[in-house]
Order: sequence, then structure tokens, then C-alpha cells
Amino acid sequence: MSKKPDLQTTIGGLALQNPVMTASGTFGYGKEFESLVDLNRLGAVIVKGLSLEPARGNPPPRIVETACGMINAIGLENVGIEAFIAQKLVFLQKLNIPVIANIYGRLEEEYVQLARRLDPLEAVAGIELNISCPNVKAGGMAFGVDPAAAFNVTQAVREQTSKPLIVKLSPNVTDISEIAVAVAEAGADCISLINTISAMVIDIETRRPRLANITGGLSGPAIKPIALRMVWQAAQAVQIPVIGIGGILTAEDALEFLIAGATAVQVGTANFIHPRSTIDIIDGLEAFLEAHNIATVSDIIGTLEI
Amino acid sequence: MLQHLATVLWNKKAGPGYYRIGLRCPGNFSAAVPGQFVMLRLVRRLDPVLRRPFSIHNLVMHGGQANGIELLYQVVGKATTLLSQLKTGDRVDILGPLGRGFQLPSGAKKVYLAAGGVGVAPLVFMVSYFRRRPVDLSQWHIFLGAKSREDLLSLDVFSTLNIPLHITTDDGSAGEHCLVTHPLETTVEQSPPDLICACGPPAMLGCVADIAERHGIACQVSIEAVMACGMGACLGCAVARRGEPQTYLHVCMDGPVFDSRQLKW
Ligand SMILES: Cc1cc2nc3c(=O)[nH]c(=O)nc-3n(C[C@H](O)[C@H](O)[C@H](O)COP(=O)(O)OP(=O)(O)OC[C@H]3O[C@@H](n4cnc5c(N)ncnc54)[C@H](O)[C@@H]3O)c2cc1C
Ligand SMILES: Cc1cc2nc3c(=O)[nH]c(=O)nc-3n(C[C@H](O)[C@H](O)[C@H](O)COP(=O)(O)O)c2cc1C
Ligand code: FES
Repeated sequence: MSKKPDLQTTIGGLALQNPVMTASGTFGYGKEFESLVDLNRLGAVIVKGLSLEPARGNPPPRIVETACGMINAIGLENVGIEAFIAQKLVFLQKLNIPVIANIYGRLEEEYVQLARRLDPLEAVAGIELNISCPNVKAGGMAFGVDPAAAFNVTQAVREQTSKPLIVKLSPNVTDISEIAVAVAEAGADCISLINTISAMVIDIETRRPRLANITGGLSGPAIKPIALRMVWQAAQAVQIPVIGIGGILTAEDALEFLIAGATAVQVGTANFIHPRSTIDIIDGLEAFLEAHNIATVSDIIGTLEI
Repeated sequence: MLQHLATVLWNKKAGPGYYRIGLRCPGNFSAAVPGQFVMLRLVRRLDPVLRRPFSIHNLVMHGGQANGIELLYQVVGKATTLLSQLKTGDRVDILGPLGRGFQLPSGAKKVYLAAGGVGVAPLVFMVSYFRRRPVDLSQWHIFLGAKSREDLLSLDVFSTLNIPLHITTDDGSAGEHCLVTHPLETTVEQSPPDLICACGPPAMLGCVADIAERHGIACQVSIEAVMACGMGACLGCAVARRGEPQTYLHVCMDGPVFDSRQLKW
């Protein structure tokens, strides 16, 4: 009888029991899924993007479905860092899994203040820097599409925290390697990608955009091949761990990212379609490794044959 | 709230482009209240990729227990077309019951229900729910509006109730030839109710909210929004909140039934 395969993985000093995390903005603050998912089985929970002040988000409609995907323009509505710490973290810290706070700011100084506030909190295992949101007017993606700006904001946050620091990259760039290298040099412990792809839909009867924000971010199965290509490129460009995100619905999808070089993955839109996706992916990874006589998940990471 | 793999018990035409689907669910829907909804997914399909919200139209009762739910839906696009093709024994994946339903304040004796088109769906559950409880429906009124005679749904349910039923159609093919809000307002003027509950197209609900406001009557409306998750995770289902510019409520958590004064019309 063979032993159960070992799913443990490490992202920038943070040990995970398995490589499957929830993507920011698709899993609320964890509690929303309590009755549907055994949260303690997850690799980690990444919470909705946090800002210094509570944010109200964009006017509706905020969502439109597309072929095998969806476009959202939520506009980073969130309770704000203080309410997160006072109200949401209480539930999350009772879990036995790492909680990663995703943060965004309009100015570099806001990212710095957010990181400083989170750094002393024991309940926060790591910080994910969102420099890639396509749905807020200032900041967000502006940092993620310019290597110098990405370097500066990463470095400024790095100085504030010794926690594992993940920088989340935007796909809305010509050369993903360039940005990946910039944030790695600035001291990021890992990079995660991709955030959503800037996109739009038009109602031909009214000739108006289907989203009040005009454009939004495309996610879901439709973006997986693009995400995979970018993860593969980024993994070749940097030494730090890469976290794969984009259209992952099944264990097979997650395996493609691992083979392309991702050390872990995040599951986003799939949580809406099938709330237990993450658990099915974890079970599926284990079954795949077992069936292929692979002892540990690290034995499959970056094994793409060319 | 739970996720259930439900089995189709029946899927019958209820009018031109309207269907009733009965679903047997392993979970228990006895705790569901009128106005709550489910998120339905067609199994093993990636297009449409998102679940679709549907109000609970009724419970399927078996030996005194609710062992399933019934939905009333109109075919308008991709998911509802595929749904209409399902046969007895097929499976669908449902998440629910979700959201906040209608709330009958104690002491509310006189309740007017107003439905436009397929908006009648949750109001049927409302009536059957309170009929099973020690609630006196003798002073209730029902107002049903539709495009045309064939679009009047659930008439059979309401006509057995001994409750005054006011019918209107846009083309005059049945009932009064006017909008449903017309007899509603006339009746409200003659005999103001304690509560109005309404479900229907946005323009109709705006008009009902306006009638309620002008007559100082409490009003609850069930509204729609595009939803991805139905459970408070995506924040996609925002609607403008009254009084505070650029602040939003979320239809799946704060609603879909709202006190009409909470919303900006
Ligand atoms: C809480 C709630 C309860 C609902 N209850 C019912 C119900 O009991 N019975 C019922 O028939 N419908 C109900 N709806 C509406 C139903 O969800 C939509 O009709 C359905 O999602 C359409 O899916 P589709 O793939 O067939 O259409 P799509 O292909 O997605 O869209 C086709 C067209 O339908 C219209 N449409 C799509 N979604 C909506 C929507 N949410 N509201 C209004 N128009 C829409 C649009 O004009 C769109 O262009 C409810 C919606 C909500 C939010
Ligand atoms: C509704 C919605 C909200 C999101 N909110 C955030 C957010 O607050 N912060 C962030 O970094 N990414 C956010 N994202 C992006 C996801 O975390 C993820 O990067 C993207 O959706 C691609 O993965 P997927 O295809 O698995 O969904 C959001 C995505 C969606 C669909
Ligand atoms: S539909 Fe996702 S939060 Fe309401």
C-alpha cells in the first residue's frame, strides 16, 4: 500500500497544508462559505481586498456574464481595514489555516499604512498586495502596469513588514516578465497572477455598455489559457514562488498551473459556480498524485516538458 | 443555506414561455420563508457559467414534510431555455434557501399582494405559507397584472382562496384593461391596508412604492439584480440605497425583499 501523497507546499516562508487557496474577492471574508465548505481543509484563505477606509464600490450593474466567464466591476467595495480587524478577523483567526490579507491603495502611502497596520497582527499570516485591479479609478492597476511603480510600491511595503509578502500582478501588460522581475527585486516573497483581464460588453439594443463602469475585469474558465501562459512566463523569469490564478475550476486545471511552474494556486470565480470547488480540487490533486505514484506535490511543480 | 443535488419531479408548461419545475431536494426546505430564493445551476455546464436566481414558488409537500421546492420561470435567455428542456429525473444543482423574505408584522391583518407577470412566483408561496399557519387571510386582496390573458399565472391557486382577486391585462384580454397599479391604488384609497407586498418588473414596483408612500402604508418589494454568488461573497448585486448617495444594499443578503423606503426609486 502506498502512502497518501504529500500536498504540503511553501510560499515565501509560509507553509501550506496544500496548494489550494481562495482568490481575493471571491470568498468574502470566509464566513460566507462556512456552511458549505470545511474551511480548515483549505491551503489558505485570502480575503476581499482591503483599503484604509471603507469603500462603497461602483454603481450597478456591476456584473455581466460572458461566454464561459464573467466581467465584474465591483470597484473594491470593502469594510475597510479597521472593521476587518475588529469584526471579520475574529472569525478567521479561529480557523487552523493561514489567513492572507489582500490590500489595495490609491497612493503608495496607503499601501504603506495598510501594511504597517497588519504587520503586528498574529492572525494575519501574510499580505497580498493588489497592484492590479482594473476597476478603481486611481491606483490599483496603475502600479501594476509600470515596472518602476511596481518596484517602488513593493519596496515601500517590504520595509513595513516581515510577513510573507505576495504581489498580485495584472495581466494587462505587454511583458509580464518585466513586472515580475521588478517586484522580485524589490523584495516580494512571491508573486500571484493573474488578476482579471480588462474587458467590456455592449447591449446592442440600447447601444450602452452592460456595466455602469463601462469596463470591468474578465474572470472564469475563459481566461485560463491566458493565465497559464503568463504564469509559465513569470515562473521562468523569477526565482521566487509563483501562485497561479485564473479560471481554475478543477484539479486538472490546477495541475496545469503547477506543471507550468506555480507553487500554489488560487481559486476565484469557481467559488460562485460550485462553492465546494476548492475541496474538490484538493481531493482531485491527491487522487492524481496517488494514481501517478508521485510522492509529493513539489515533484510535479515546474515539470513542463518542452 | 445548503447545496443540494435536486431531482426534477416535473417541468410543465404554465403558459407561453412559462414553466413550473418541481424539484426534489435531499435537504430540508421547511424553514424557507416566502420571498427567499435559490441559485440554480445546470449540472456539468460551463456556458452559462453562473448560477441563476429563482424565487421559491412553492414547497413540494410529501407526508406533511417539505421534500422539495417548485419554481415558476419565464424563458428569457440561455439558462432558462436549457432549464425548460429538462425532463423528469434530470438533476440540477441548487443553493438555498437564500436571502431575506417577506416579513408579516404581528398585527398586520389587511395585506395587499401585487404581482406583475412572472413576479407572481413568490406571492404564491406567500399565500400557501400563511394558509398553513394561524394567520387570518380574510382581509387580504390580490392584484394580478400581466401582458395578456395567457400570461396570467397561478390564477387557479388564487381563485380557490376566497380572497378578492383583481385582474388586469395590458391588452384588455382579461380583467381590467389597465396596469395592475390602477386597481391597487383605488382599493388602497377606499380601504388602506396594513401592508403591501409586491413583486414584478422594476417600473411596476416603483409605482407601487410610490402609491404606498403617498398613502403612508408599509410596503415590501422583491427586486432583482444580476447575481454571481447569491450569498454575499461577490458584492455584485448592489442596488442604490435611499438617502445616502453612492451607498448600496446587496440584493442577495439585504433582500431580495426590501422595505420600499430603503431603496432609491
Ligand atoms: C432574487 C431573484 C429572484 C428571481 N426569481 C425569478 C422567478 O421566480 N422566475 C423567473 O422567471 N425569473 C426570476 N428571476 C429572474 C431570473 O433570474 C432571470 O430571468 C434569469 O437569470 C435569466 O437567465 P437566462 O440565462 O435565461 O437569461 P440570460 O441569457 O442571462 O439573459 C437574457 C435576457 O434576460 C434578461 N435578464 C437576465 N437576467 C435578468 C434578471 N436577473 N432580471 C431581469 N432580467 C434579466 C435580460 O434582458 C437579458 O438580456 C429572479 C431574479 C432574482 C434576482
Ligand atoms: C467578483 C470579483 C471580485 C474580485 N475582487 C478582487 C479583490 O478585491 N482583490 C483582488 O486582488 N482580486 C480580486 N478579484 C480577482 C480574483 O482574485 C482573481 O484574480 C481573478 O478573478 C481570476 O481568477 P478566477 O478566474 O479564478 O476568478 C476579484 C474577482 C472577482 C470575479
Ligand atoms: S450575488 Fe454575490 S454578493 Fe449578492
